[in-house]
Formats: sequence, C-alpha cells, structure tokens
Amino acid sequence: MARPPDYDVAVLGAGIVGASAAWHLARRGMRVVVIDASGPAAAASGASDGAVSVASKKPGVMARLANRSLAYTRRLAEAGGPLRGVFGDRPSYYLATSPAEEQALGDLVAKIAALGGPARVTADGAKAGPDGVGPSVTRCVALAGEGHMLGYAAVAAYLAQAGVDRLWPVTVEALEADDAGVTVSLTDRNLRVAKVVAALGTSSTALFPGLPVTPRTGQLVVTDRAPPGSLPGPLTAASYLVAKSASPGAPDKPPVVIDPLSTGQFLIGSSREEHGDCARTDFATVRRLAARAAEFWPALRARHVVRIFAGVRAAVSDGLPIVGPLTQSPRVVLATGFEGDGICLSGLMGREVAAMVAGEAVSAGAEADIAALSPARFSRREARAR
Amino acid sequence: MSGAILWNGAPVAFRAGESVASALARAGIRALGDLPTGQEAAVFCGIGQCQGCLVSLDGRLVEACLTPCRDGLRVASAGAGNG
Amino acid sequence: MAEPRVLIVGAGLAGLAAAVGLARAGFASLVVDQARAPGGAIHRQPLPGVAAHGLPAQRRRWQNLRAEVTAEGDRIEILCNHRFAGIDADGVALLTGERSRFIRPAAVILATGATERVVPVPGWTLPGVTTVGAIQTQLKTTGEPPAGRVLLAGSGPLLCAAAAELAAAGNPPVAIVEAGRPFRHAADALALPAGYLAEASAHLARLLLARVPIRCGMHLSRIDRHGDTLVARAEGGGRHLDFAVDRIGLHDGIRPNGYGAAGTTVPVALAGDAREALGARAALEDGRRAGAALAARLAGRPVPPDMSPALERERAAQQRLRRIHAHDLGARLVAIGDDTVLCRCENRTAGDLRALGGDPTDRELRLRGRFAMGRCQGRFCGEWVRRLQGDDPADAPLGAVRLPVRPLPLADLIDAGEPDEEN
Repeated sequence: MARPPDYDVAVLGAGIVGASAAWHLARRGMRVVVIDASGPAAAASGASDGAVSVASKKPGVMARLANRSLAYTRRLAEAGGPLRGVFGDRPSYYLATSPAEEQALGDLVAKIAALGGPARVTADGAKAGPDGVGPSVTRCVALAGEGHMLGYAAVAAYLAQAGVDRLWPVTVEALEADDAGVTVSLTDRNLRVAKVVAALGTSSTALFPGLPVTPRTGQLVVTDRAPPGSLPGPLTAASYLVAKSASPGAPDKPPVVIDPLSTGQFLIGSSREEHGDCARTDFATVRRLAARAAEFWPALRARHVVRIFAGVRAAVSDGLPIVGPLTQSPRVVLATGFEGDGICLSGLMGREVAAMVAGEAVSAGAEADIAALSPARFSRREARAR
Repeated sequence: MSGAILWNGAPVAFRAGESVASALARAGIRALGDLPTGQEAAVFCGIGQCQGCLVSLDGRLVEACLTPCRDGLRVASAGAGNG
Repeated sequence: MAEPRVLIVGAGLAGLAAAVGLARAGFASLVVDQARAPGGAIHRQPLPGVAAHGLPAQRRRWQNLRAEVTAEGDRIEILCNHRFAGIDADGVALLTGERSRFIRPAAVILATGATERVVPVPGWTLPGVTTVGAIQTQLKTTGEPPAGRVLLAGSGPLLCAAAAELAAAGNPPVAIVEAGRPFRHAADALALPAGYLAEASAHLARLLLARVPIRCGMHLSRIDRHGDTLVARAEGGGRHLDFAVDRIGLHDGIRPNGYGAAGTTVPVALAGDAREALGARAALEDGRRAGAALAARLAGRPVPPDMSPALERERAAQQRLRRIHAHDLGARLVAIGDDTVLCRCENRTAGDLRALGGDPTDRELRLRGRFAMGRCQGRFCGEWVRRLQGDDPADAPLGAVRLPVRPLPLADLIDAGEPDEEN
C-alpha cells in the first residue's frame, strides 16, 4: 500500500468544475491527472448555453457565491489568465410578459443591488429590451457585467495548463483512502494519489451512492446563424428566475432562455425533466420552448432549427451544490451538483477546492457560504467512498 | 417557358414545375450569395442534403434546389451573414 | 387520420416497393417525398412537356411499380412536396411542407436514398462545382444539359453514365477524370451481371462516338476560379492536366442517407440505398423486402431475413465495381493540404482538424472542431474526418444522430400545433 504516489491529485471528471480545479491545483505546483469516463466536457459542460449569470441564481448563498465567482472569472479572463478570449462580457436581458413575471423582475433588481456588482442594472422598463423584442413583453431589466463562456472552450483552456495529465476514456471503479493517500481503481490498473477531487456531476452516485444527486435533463434547440450581433445578449424569461427554485415539469409557457452564440447561432433552452436520458428528445417539448422564444424574439421564426439535443444537469435534493471534503475520508474532496450553475461557479469553486486540497483556508469572506455546501450536511447518509 | 421569378429584382424565366435552382442555372446564375461562414451559396448536391444553396424568400431561408418557381416569386441572395 | 399508418419517407424505388409490400400484407402507408413527384433520384420525373429519360428497361421498371402502387388503391397515399423532419422519443413524426403537422405513425421506413461521396479538394466549394448527381437531376427534370464546358471527375461507374447522358442531350463533357483504372480490370468487368455490362457498353459507345476523353489514374488536385471560368488541375501518374471549364461535376461513389432512425419508440426500418448503398436494382428488391419484413413484424409473424439471393448478387456486383475502380484514396487523404475545406457548412479545413491534436473525442471534434455541426449535419464531411483521424468511417456517424433530420424553419415547428391536436 505504501507505494509513492503517481500524482499529487487525481481529479475525477473533466467537466468545467474539474478542469478549473485541475488548473488551480497545477498552478500551485501539484502534479495532477484528470480522469474522465468519456472525455472533456462530455456532460453538462458541453451541453450548456454558457451564460455566466448571477441574475439566475437563487438569492442567498448561491447568488453571493455566483457573484464572487463572476468577479473572479473576469480576473481569470484578463491578460495572462487562462480564460482570456474564452470569457466575454455582454449585456443580458430579463423579460416579463405578465404581472407575476414583472414582480419577479422587481425582485431581481433588488437582488442585483444588494450584491453590489460587478453586475448592475443599466435599464428597466417596457422599452428597456434590445430592438426586436416581441410586443407582449411588458417589462425588461437590462444588466451589464454578466458574461458568456462556452463550457467546452473553458474546459479546453483550463486543461491546456502545464502539469495536468489527461486520462480518458477511463472509468474509475472504486476509491480507497488510507492514512497515506488514496488508491484509485481503474478498469485495468490502480493509481496511487495523495488526494482526490471528485467533480463527477451526475455520475457522482456511482462512486458515492449516498449522495442525493439526481439527473435533471433539459432539452435545447440550436438554430442556424443570424447576422452576428443581431441580439447583443441573452434574453431570459423572468419565469426562469422563479422556476429555477421551483419543482420541475413542463408548464405551458416554459421558462425560456435565448442565448446568442458567437457564431450568430441561437441556443434556446431549456426544459427541466426528472430523468437522465440525454438521448431522449421530443417535438412537443421543444415546440413549446420554440413558441415561447419566438414570442420574446419574433425574428427567431425565420431561423432554422439545426439541432435538438438534451443535456443532463446534476441536481441536489436541497438545491445547493456539494463542495468540500468527505467527513469520513477527508482526502477526497467533492465538487458536484451544480445543476447548470457550474459554468458561472466553476472559477471560484476551482480555487476553493484547490485550497481545500492544499489544506488552506478558503477565501476570506466566503467561509460561511462555502461551508453551506459541505457534504457534511448530509451526514446521516454520509457519502462514503465505496 | 411559363413565367418569371424575380432574382434580386431581375426577372428570370422558368419552366412550369422547375425549381428556383434550375431556373437560375439556365440563366447562368451560379453564385447565390454569401453564407455567414464566408463560403458562397451555390448548388452542390441539388437534392436538399448539403444545404448550400440557401436563398431568401419572403425573409425566410429556403433551399433553391427544393423550392418550386411561381410567377412573380421574389427570391434574393441570402446575403452576408444570413443563413 | 383514421388509424395509424406506416410512414414511408421517400417515394423512389425502395419507398414505393415497400409501400406495395406493406399493402399486400394489409397495412396502409403514407409515403412522403420532398420532390414535386415520386421517382427518387433514379426515376426523377421530367417537367411537363419534357421527354422521359433513361433506358427502356429502366422506364418499364418504374411504370410497373407505379401500376402496382395504383392497384393498391387507398392503402397507399403519396404526399409530395413534404419533408420528414424526424421522429421523436414519443413516436411523433414531424412533416413540413405547405402546412407542417405532427403524425403518429405505426412504424417508419426510411427510404431516403443515398448521399454522394465527394473527396474534398481545394476549390470544391466554388459555385459551378456540384455533385454529378446534381447535374443528372437537372438533366432528368429539364431535359437540358448544363450550358458550357463540363468536366466530370472522381471515381465510379456513374461518371461514364452521366457523361453519356450529357452526350445524348447534346453537350458531352470535355473529359472524364477517373481516379481508378477500370479498363485494366477486364476479367472483373466481364464477370459483372449482364445488365451492368449492357449498360456500361451502351454508355461507352456513346462516349466513344462523342469523343469524350477518359483520363484514368488521375484525380483533381485543386480547382481555381479565373473570372467566370473554373480551372481544374488533374494529377496522376507523374503528370498533370489543366481543364478550363464552366461546370464541374464531382462524384466518388455513394453512401447511405439513412438518418433519423435513432431514439424512438415505434419500429423504424431502412430500405434501399438508405440501408446499404447498392444502387437502383437493389433498391427495388430491398424495398419489397423491407415492406414484407415490417409487415411481418407488425403482425407478430416471424421476420424474414434481411438479405436475399438477389440482394447478395447486387452486393457482389457492387464489390466488383469497387475493385474495378480501385485507387489509393487513403494516400490522397493523408496528403490533403491544411487549407482544404473538409466541412463545407462551417468552413472548417483539414488544418483545423489537425490543430485539435492527438486523439480528440467525437465531442471535441464537434464542439471544438465544429465538424458535423453544420446544416448538412455531417453528411459531406463525416467520413473524411473519420478517415483523416485514422478511424473506420463505418463507425458510428459523426453527425446527424439528433433531430431534426434536416434543418427546418422554427416557424414550421411552432405552426405544427400540439402533437395530439386534431389538425
């Protein structure tokens, strides 16, 4: 058992959270291997709109952490940072077509004000939306300071860091922690590492069966290219702000997000379905998304649907991600359950997870919010390495 | 010939039943505009699979090879950054 | 719709033969086709007033099949000018056309024919460069060959067939550039079924008469545009030839166009070239087979085997044809220049593919490379990306496993209504 470690850290999962953790660990001089069952950005990170959004986060812990991560991500995108050219600044718009949605926008304005930046309201009113917004929109809140970062592009940028080895497609069969390190059992061999970061998303329960992580699928539509810049930033239904904390289902007017990609294409998302079958798509669901999207942005009717697909998010029973060392096996640090918020939170979470692995304190001022994500909150059914 | 479509405003004769692509080809029109990736729109496969011959019809993009001609039909090149 | 019917996509030989097979077993079907008339690629129907094309035996084959369809009465409905956007996880199919709508078929047969393979070459995206099939389509519908100087290049028996059709229509191509050396395989050629030989002889006689040069063992290395003229360079055997022409037809064989079969709850079967690219003779036979097999499956009877002696013969003939036209495509692909466009839709080059490095996953090829992500959904680049990566192109396709089968206007999706509305 006491063989010298092959790596300082094994990061399980090459999604955006794992990739960020690997980058932060390697920057600390650690030797890191990233292991994935299929490859980089193979699950939620590669199937997301890429919105780095604070507005969409639940007030409280999530909004505060997202805000902190937004500010940090903007730093990572500065000269010399890994996300330079990957993260981009852009305006974002939140739209209401009913009194209830207008009320949700009022709450949004208050939330943004309380956070104190970098996101800020630049316009608010019936005419605050970009040109071309549909006539049924009664109120729009425009924000500056949020941004865009494609998950797969961020993963590629993080993993390009020197000192990060890659291992895929390889399945981790089991983890066994002891006083000196962790043995990572792969199909054909074992790896010996000092510590493990498990950023496994919906696959988390295969290794940690006690974790209350379930898959939540969302269907999305990708269109062909419009003239670039025809929509300067994403349009988000105000009902989305409410729905993210409500129970899933397929309401008549689904909470829709229209995200303009750098290619000129639009990504229209997304449904929330309680299963993990990302091969399953259906016309009825995407038609409702498309109809609602075209209500917000009528020019979409002329666009072509190029692709319909589904992505799977990792949802946690209490709606908060799970980040922190396992109580029973502190050499194993979890970072999972972001349910679509991983794009925004990945910057900060990578940094904090690296601090935890190094045995250092997390960022000053964020201690309580990060403690709220600890797996210890599920202590009665404490997830234990199999 | 049984009428004319309007290609970017100019009349192009067509035979009953033929596609926009076919009428344009007879008139010697091969370049159909610009696609947003920098390629030129043009007929390639002729049966709707390659999607390379997109043109604009009433503000909507259609495949020239699959769109039947009608007298007076206004068809325009897709234009830079559209498609 | 009274009772669920079988949806057949494609009203060519395979699709209509399948419809007849189903009807004879008591199953009604709806056959949709994107074209204005049934016929598919082989029997594409001429415009009103244009003489029918093809050899007499081919025309008889089509007329016989049409008569069989007519004899089945309302068990077979043919809907032209409509397109199939795919069938979803709930068994709901979307048809678009003048009016888009959802239907719930009892089963689906995809008889969607083939896609032409075209080996990428610098300049293959220029206007005026098309597939050979596109030239044939124009010829069959209008009876008119393309105007000006035409060059046909690539590999396979279709080059000579199309050239002969152009000659018969009054505009023979300036040359055929054939990568293989078919005339050095006399033994294989003589072993082809009689029908193949008769057709090939008829085509070659016509080409001889029209003095169309056939440059064997050569391939196009690039196409440039000089004003209104396309200049194609052919290379091979240590020499090169330049052709200044107005139109270029490219063709390197065909591959199945059987997209749309994944991820649904109702039975989905493939027929004709969409199942295995074996050509027109096999399409008729395979359509009958697919119809009978699906009928048996729907009736709960034992399903007949998916090959028959007749299909085996066609497969053997196609293999022989490939041997006759064999050439070192692999070496050409490896040497393909970084500036050569592989993906026409997204304008992605061989250099872009190589820049992805070592051993990218399919997801990286798509998301970072943007291969198979464009409007054609990988139909034209998928094989070349696979082969340049050193993978078997027969592996799972790189693209088009998702809905829709082909891009469709968002408005058509929205206007189709709710799937279970009566409309």
